[in-house]
Order: sequence, then structure tokens, then C-alpha cells
Amino acid sequence: MTLRRRLVDWSLTGLLILVPALVLRASLQRGTPSAFDAAILRITAPLEAGVTWIAEGLGGLWSRYVALIDIEAENRELREDNDRLRKELAEMTRRAYDVAALEELAVLKKHTPTDTIGARVIAAPLSPQFRVLRLRLDRGQRDVQPNMAVIAGTGPVGKIDKVYGDYADVMLVSDTRSKIEVVVKRTGARGWLIGLGRTDSYACTISALELSPQAEQRARAGDELVTSGVGSVFPPGLVVGKIESLLGDDGMFQKVEVRPAVDVSRVRAVMVLLANPPPPDPDAKTKKKSEPAFGLRAL
Amino acid sequence: MRTATLVLVAYGLCVVLGACWRLLPIGLLRDAVPELGALTAAYLGLTARRDLSPAIGGSVVIGYLVDVVSGAPAGLAAFVLGVTCLVTRSAQQRILVRGAAMTIGFSAFVALVASVLGLLVRGAAGIPVASIVVELQHLALVTLATALIGPLVWRVFRRIDAAFARTHREREAALEGLMP
Repeated sequence: MTLRRRLVDWSLTGLLILVPALVLRASLQRGTPSAFDAAILRITAPLEAGVTWIAEGLGGLWSRYVALIDIEAENRELREDNDRLRKELAEMTRRAYDVAALEELAVLKKHTPTDTIGARVIAAPLSPQFRVLRLRLDRGQRDVQPNMAVIAGTGPVGKIDKVYGDYADVMLVSDTRSKIEVVVKRTGARGWLIGLGRTDSYACTISALELSPQAEQRARAGDELVTSGVGSVFPPGLVVGKIESLLGDDGMFQKVEVRPAVDVSRVRAVMVLLANPPPPDPDAKTKKKSEPAFGLRAL
Repeated sequence: MRTATLVLVAYGLCVVLGACWRLLPIGLLRDAVPELGALTAAYLGLTARRDLSPAIGGSVVIGYLVDVVSGAPAGLAAFVLGVTCLVTRSAQQRILVRGAAMTIGFSAFVALVASVLGLLVRGAAGIPVASIVVELQHLALVTLATALIGPLVWRVFRRIDAAFARTHREREAALEGLMP
């Protein structure tokens, strides 16, 4: 290798090392890619995209079809876990529902001025339209008697109908034999709540609901009904239901359809009233002077 | 022609590796793309015949392409790979890169040199660098990744050299890693 050629080679080498340094400095000052850089990128980008597409396709093929050897066993384990957790969830949901029902009963018991006993619903025969016809309770002859009132958290459910052995059947308020004296809360009008006995709903009606000459004193849809507590085994003030629709009148009485407050299909636990509620105190609003504790008493 | 072919093949490998590397199941190494450009520059420097300038030119060109593809400031990898080529040229008469272990070791050395040079140049040029711990961790991973793919890349380059051989002896020498 001649000296001249060697000099040229080393000069070229130095120049080739220097050029990138200058390009680096220029690119740092400029900040954006030059037109030449952009052109190179335009050539490179489709190539990169194509390679990426192929690589991801092959990778996807691997992960979707080849690397699924252990998936079946894992899937079986997950199914078993899923089944177990579903059962646990169902059990917990049922327990939560029972607890909620018992809490409602506890509140109800606190506000009910008579002796009561709790009972669990153990059966509920259904109509062909999946409506509950009656409830069967886990309380028998030792605990309850026919005609005792049965209430749930949201209102009256019905009365004890038959008692046999350790069980008792409840006649629902929607039964045609049921009769409860109720008051329209807004107007004070009274009537008898009687079940319509429908197999597709729990609807009731009110018999002898007086047709008031004043329009605002007449019952309207949405009016709330409460028990009167008179001539009935139910304590006064229990919300029975709401007037759902007006069916007209016969000139003397209004005809209405009532939707009971208690959804019987959801009742799991009830309260049975063991004695009739005490009669209202006739002297409740009169002032009575208490007798002196010491000294002579007036005879 | 040989240098241009090597540069083009290296560029293609860079593109393919850049796209595929992140899809490989390699854990920590996924973030450390091998220094393929450094391997190319080292091969060019190590196999340069009489004139050094074609090898440096090839290294600078592959460095520039790596800069453009990777989004680094133009000239950064070009300068680093040019210097890397010079370094490996100086080792040409002293070592013989043959066998898997030697190739892996030399690849690791090249990656280390290129990474350290890159770090120094970035520091000198005012390009932001990460904390020293992060940079060292990345440097170690890149060295490891480059060492792993080194034998494969060198095998490809030797095949190309064998294709450009004029005689049967040159071809055998190229495949055996005895060039120049």
C-alpha cells in the first residue's frame, strides 16, 4: 500500500468520522428530521409495518392455536371454581335475604302492641299463572290458632286458615274469603277489603266504600289504605295497599281495585299476632287527676 | 458491493429485529434491543482488507439508518458506529473471532463499547440521559442481548462474505472466519 493511498484512506476515514459528528450537531440544533431523513423514513415505514404485521400474525397464531396446551385443564379448573362460587353466591344471597326479612320482622315486632311469634314460610303453592295461593308456615298447633293475623314487614299478609300438626296455612288477603276493615287514609272513608281471588294477580277490592257527594272526598287511584283496627284481628294503622284503579260506582258505593302492599311471592318470614290487639283506650285524650299518694282519700 | 450488501442486510435485520424483539418471550430482555448496528460495524472493521474507509463508510451508513429507524438524533449512532468500527479495526491483528464462545464474547465486548460510547456522546452532546443505575442496567441487558444473537448475525455476515469470494479458498476462509 503506497503512502499516498494510505493518506487518502486515513483522510477519508477522518472525514467519515467527522461528518456524523457534524450531522449530529446540526440535527440537535434543528430539532426536526431533515427532508432526507423523512425520505428514508418513508421508505422504511412500510417495511417496518409489513414485518410487524407478519410477526404479530405469527405471534397471534402461536398464542391462539399452539400455546393452548394447558388451557383445557385450566378451563376445567376455572369452571369448577365458577360453579363453586356460584353456589356460594346463591347461598349467601339467600341468607342475606333471610336476614333482611328477619330485620324487617324485628322492627315490626317492636312496633306491634301485642304478643307475636315469628314464623318461616316453608311452602307457597302457586297458581298456573305463578301466583302464590297460600303460604305454609313452620308453626303448628302448639303455637298458633286459626284466624290469627299474619303480618310481614310491609303490611298484612292474611290470617291463619288451617293448623295441622306442626304447620299452618295462611289465607292471603287476596283470597275471596278474606275480609279486613280498612280506612282510606286521605279521606277517612271505611270499607271492607276483600280478595278477588284472581290467579294472575293479588288484586283486592273494597266493599261498601261510600261514595261521597264531595268529589275531593271520593277515593282516587293511588290512595293509601290502612287497617282500621275495628272488628279485626289486625292492629290499626298497618298499610294494606293502594287503590290501583277506579271501577266506577253504583250511586251509593265506589268500586275500586286495590293492590296489596305485601308482595306475597317474596315473603320468607312472617309474624303471627297471638292475641287480638287491645281495644283503644276511651279515656286516651282526657286529663285524669292522679290520686294523692299520702293522706286521706275521698271515698 | 460487499460492504453495501452487508449494510443492506444489516438494515433489514435491524427492521425485522426491531419489530419482532418485543414479541419474543424473553422477559427482562424485551426492553433491550440488541446492538445489531454495532455488530455490523465490528464485523466491517474486523474484516476490512487494505482500505479502512469503506468499512467506516458502511458503519456510518448503517449507523445513520439505525438513527432514522430508532428515532435518535441523526448522526448519533453513525458517529458511535464509526468509532466502534475503528476500535475493532485496531483489534483485527490481535484476535481471531472463531467459535461460538469467542463470537459471543466479542459480541458482548462490541455491544459494551458501542453502549459506553453512545452514553459518552449523549452526555457530551447534551442529550438527556437517565440515572446512572438505569443506564448501567440497560447497558448490561443490551450487552447480554447482543451477545446472544451475535453468533447468528456473524454467521449471516460470513455467508455473505463467502458469496462474494472469488476463489474456493477465499470462500472457505470466509465461512471459517479467517478473513481477511
